[in-house]
Amino acid sequence: MATKRQKEQSIKGKTDKARNASNSYFSLFTFHSFIFHFSFFLLVWLWASWWMGDVFRMAREYSFYATEDTLMHGLWQQSFGLLWVIGRALLTLYRWPVVGGLLVALLLTASIGLTSYCLRLRPASPLRALAYVPAVAWMSWIAWRGLNLYYQQEPGIALGTLFLGIVVLALDAFIIWTFKRRVKNEGVKSEKSISPKPSQGLHAIIGNPYFSLFILSLFTFVPPALITHLRHPYLRPVTKMEVQMLNEDWKGMVETAHDNAKLSYRPIAAYYAIALVQTGQLAENLFDIRLDYDSLYVKGWSGDADVGTTYYLADCNFHAGLFRAATHTAMEQLTMNGPSLHNLKLLTRLALLDHDWALARKYLTIIDRTPFESDFVERYGAMVGDSAAVAADPVFARVRLTEPVADSFESFYQSPIFLGYTAVLTAGRSMQALQQSLMANLYSKRMPDFLMRCEALVGTTPPRTIAEGLVTQTIKNPAILQAFPQLQMNVQVFRGFVQNVQPYMKDRARGGIELFDQYRGYYPYYYFFGNLKATRKKEDKEHGGSNAGVN
Amino acid sequence: MIASHKTYKTYNKTYKTNRPHYPHHLLLILSIFQFFNLSIFLSSCTTKPTAIPTAFSETADSLVVFPDYRDVTIPPNIAPLNFMVTDAGASEFVASFEEARKSQESPCLVVGALADGKFDIDSIEWRQLLSDAKGQDLTISIFAHRPAGWVRYAPFTLSVAEEEIDPYLSYRLIEPGYELYRQLGLYQRNLTNFQEAVIYENNRSFDADNNHCINCHNYQAYDTERMLFHVRASHGGTVIVNGSEAHKVAIRHDSILSSGVYPSWHPTQPLVAFSTNKTGQVFHMYHPEKIEVLDEASDLLLYDAEANSVRHILRTDDALETFPCWAPDGQTLYYCSATLPESLYDAAASEIALKYDSLLYNIYAMSYDSITRSFGEPQLVVDAAGMGKSTSVPRVSPDGRYLLFTLGDYGQFHIWHKSADLWMVDLQASTTQPLMHANAPDQPDSYHGWSSNGRWIAFASRRIDGNYSRVFISYFDREGRDHKAFLLPQRDPEHNTLLLKSYNVPELTKSPVHVTTEQLKHVVLHTESTPAAYEN
Repeated sequence: MATKRQKEQSIKGKTDKARNASNSYFSLFTFHSFIFHFSFFLLVWLWASWWMGDVFRMAREYSFYATEDTLMHGLWQQSFGLLWVIGRALLTLYRWPVVGGLLVALLLTASIGLTSYCLRLRPASPLRALAYVPAVAWMSWIAWRGLNLYYQQEPGIALGTLFLGIVVLALDAFIIWTFKRRVKNEGVKSEKSISPKPSQGLHAIIGNPYFSLFILSLFTFVPPALITHLRHPYLRPVTKMEVQMLNEDWKGMVETAHDNAKLSYRPIAAYYAIALVQTGQLAENLFDIRLDYDSLYVKGWSGDADVGTTYYLADCNFHAGLFRAATHTAMEQLTMNGPSLHNLKLLTRLALLDHDWALARKYLTIIDRTPFESDFVERYGAMVGDSAAVAADPVFARVRLTEPVADSFESFYQSPIFLGYTAVLTAGRSMQALQQSLMANLYSKRMPDFLMRCEALVGTTPPRTIAEGLVTQTIKNPAILQAFPQLQMNVQVFRGFVQNVQPYMKDRARGGIELFDQYRGYYPYYYFFGNLKATRKKEDKEHGGSNAGVN
Repeated sequence: MIASHKTYKTYNKTYKTNRPHYPHHLLLILSIFQFFNLSIFLSSCTTKPTAIPTAFSETADSLVVFPDYRDVTIPPNIAPLNFMVTDAGASEFVASFEEARKSQESPCLVVGALADGKFDIDSIEWRQLLSDAKGQDLTISIFAHRPAGWVRYAPFTLSVAEEEIDPYLSYRLIEPGYELYRQLGLYQRNLTNFQEAVIYENNRSFDADNNHCINCHNYQAYDTERMLFHVRASHGGTVIVNGSEAHKVAIRHDSILSSGVYPSWHPTQPLVAFSTNKTGQVFHMYHPEKIEVLDEASDLLLYDAEANSVRHILRTDDALETFPCWAPDGQTLYYCSATLPESLYDAAASEIALKYDSLLYNIYAMSYDSITRSFGEPQLVVDAAGMGKSTSVPRVSPDGRYLLFTLGDYGQFHIWHKSADLWMVDLQASTTQPLMHANAPDQPDSYHGWSSNGRWIAFASRRIDGNYSRVFISYFDREGRDHKAFLLPQRDPEHNTLLLKSYNVPELTKSPVHVTTEQLKHVVLHTESTPAAYEN
């Protein structure tokens, strides 16, 4: 029968055990700690799969991973090559952002436990917040990089560094654990347990689990989200549109562009134009979004600022029907950046359009070596050797409509070629080719070229935007109304517009912003208030004797 | 000790393992294992068949084999011709190699393959097989294990020549023919096995300050004692190797159009003939060809590597001279030349671009007096323009009898011209004809070179996929007949499918390059070019 002293010792022992447990460095399994870890895990999962899901998905597309040495040789040989290969391997899971995000969330959550353990941070200690710092710092760094997460940078860096961080922390924790065991075995007390102080005042608020969770969510989610939102506002719309393009969700792309109509960045405009080409709305809706481009925060391989044209150039060339130019661009990107899924898929499509079956088969064989790409390989593999299947593909059929009808050289045209070539088109194989040329001229504000090509439309009812373009020239050239008498109504509207915008003509940059909601999609608005930066460049060049267009 | 035929069979009866095929979702996990060299634990899951099936039926199906080694003639010192067979229904394969003079009951070599159809031939067995079959034909039978049982495809022949090929092949690996460059290098392949050594590589990681291109590697008389290559952009110059020494020179002068290109070492003297060109790439918008390299102006140079001096051999306004090549006796210089219409003498590049398909190059020869170092008058050797065609890359056989060149429809950069084929001039009989068996229809074949014994021709061809050039080797027999060309063998037969670079300017040599990569890196990155003196 236990004595009173034995009972007291037993109670004291239990209390110490419980206290030690709650103050353990790695107390994942206490309820309070579990809630925090799990909350963090959910928040990070949300960030990595929803907020940044499309960004990482595109990082995967601009990456390439296979187990064959022939394909990865160039990467293996680089400094930290192994790390970048691991980073790319992990990135393949972003075929499904939810799965990729899960991996990132697990790794970042693990980093908290490991950091706590390595730094001996107790749950009750306010310093416990330090455990979250590596994870949040990594997330913020990822957000800071923006498109440079993969564009003209090694795409394996993102998850490679995360992997390395976890390995380092795990090794550190292992060493500490081994050392602690040895010290314990030698009979030395490792530490004193600290009694938690009763919560009072500010401590009581901080100690409130709901308040802590609120702070945690702010601490976890807000810095990286703010960085993305403020520094790279184009990042999520652009990558979302690219993912939609992968899924051939052209209407979705248009909607995304419309949802972000006031964000004025070239990649958004480029992918919007691609979606309009595919939906046949180019001549109706091109000017529905703001087109007066702000700078992207991206760097090229050399570390210098990069305007980002090569980001969308190959895609635009492809959808403009300029297959040779698209091949040229894609091959240059292959040379400079190494193989990427995005590039290899484009080269496959181009080879199929060219009926280069052996070449298409080669690219498909390579794509097949990367995980989770069987859908693409099956779809396009079925077209190899089958020109009827190629012709029947709706995307291919659409871009074929604007393929050139005669040969010339790329160097004869202004850059970017999808605009420079299209604007001066003299012969096309479809009405879409003519419309595309007219829209390129309207976009570039090359009105004499536009009017010259409009002669082919005499006797027809031109699409809305083209009609609006014609109207802008009626003051200088009244003969337009004789050729297009149905534009009389448009002229009245245009005169009203000119009167309304007079007060804004002195400061057209400001006017462009203020008038956007009122005149969104109306070509005269674009003509006077849109693409001003490029227009100024054009005027500067023209004064210098060069015939440059807006791009 | 060299194994007997019986040993081959015994060897192949032992179990050989191969990496099994896994579905994609396992590849990621596998690759993690691969990082830590743990994949060894995953091997030995399946075994290759090791003997000829006892019961089989004949199939009339055509054999789908890559590379296509059917009915080719190979040197007796070539690396194993690993190949892969495609038969969707088959679960395993067997290949038997038999000397035509012997019966099938005693095959020389039996090799098995799993469902991927990849035959990985043991190099020791292979070497012995070729040694025994020198000058003979080998009959290869392929057996496929289909669900209904084993079948045998119609056998094909592999002829083993008496003459060996030079054991080393140098080439540049670069993404095919576009303007930019990043990671490229010169490599040397040992043709008797699969070893590929780096001669020189530019920056592996991107380095804007040190980014440079390398091209135009060339050797003196199949020997690596004297060689050179060019460096363009950062650290530009021409690297000259003399024995185990290397240095960098700058072949520039106001009267020279640009740095020397397309070099040809004099066979005995320390002289290099170069062409100097104003060329540029242009890209078609809608044409069966993808790229043109336009020649706006071209002259010929003679560089003295000992004196570090350079002078013009030909400097003309009305002709575009390019691709010089010494005859093996060093007494004749061959080159290509096109007449530039007077209207284009000072024309802009865009004007020349419009006439790109009207420039037709003939092959000329000039005698050379090695004592006075003077050249004779140009003599027309191949009148391609008369045929409405155009030549490039003349190469004379080591015995001086044959002149091998590329003939295409126009221009001189035939490696991008689908019409480009290899042609041969018999300089004794004065006959000109295409290679009857080595050429590929409708795909470019160019940048050819002879072996030092004149029995083998190595050349670059885009025949596999029309885009990525690969090295092919053709036997050229004593009667002056070419044979079907075979693809440079690789350990993994799919290597040529997976590789996203082109093989450029294959050059055969008798020995490996003497200087080390580190030496060359030091010369390129850390030494200044010595300007060559210009002699008027």
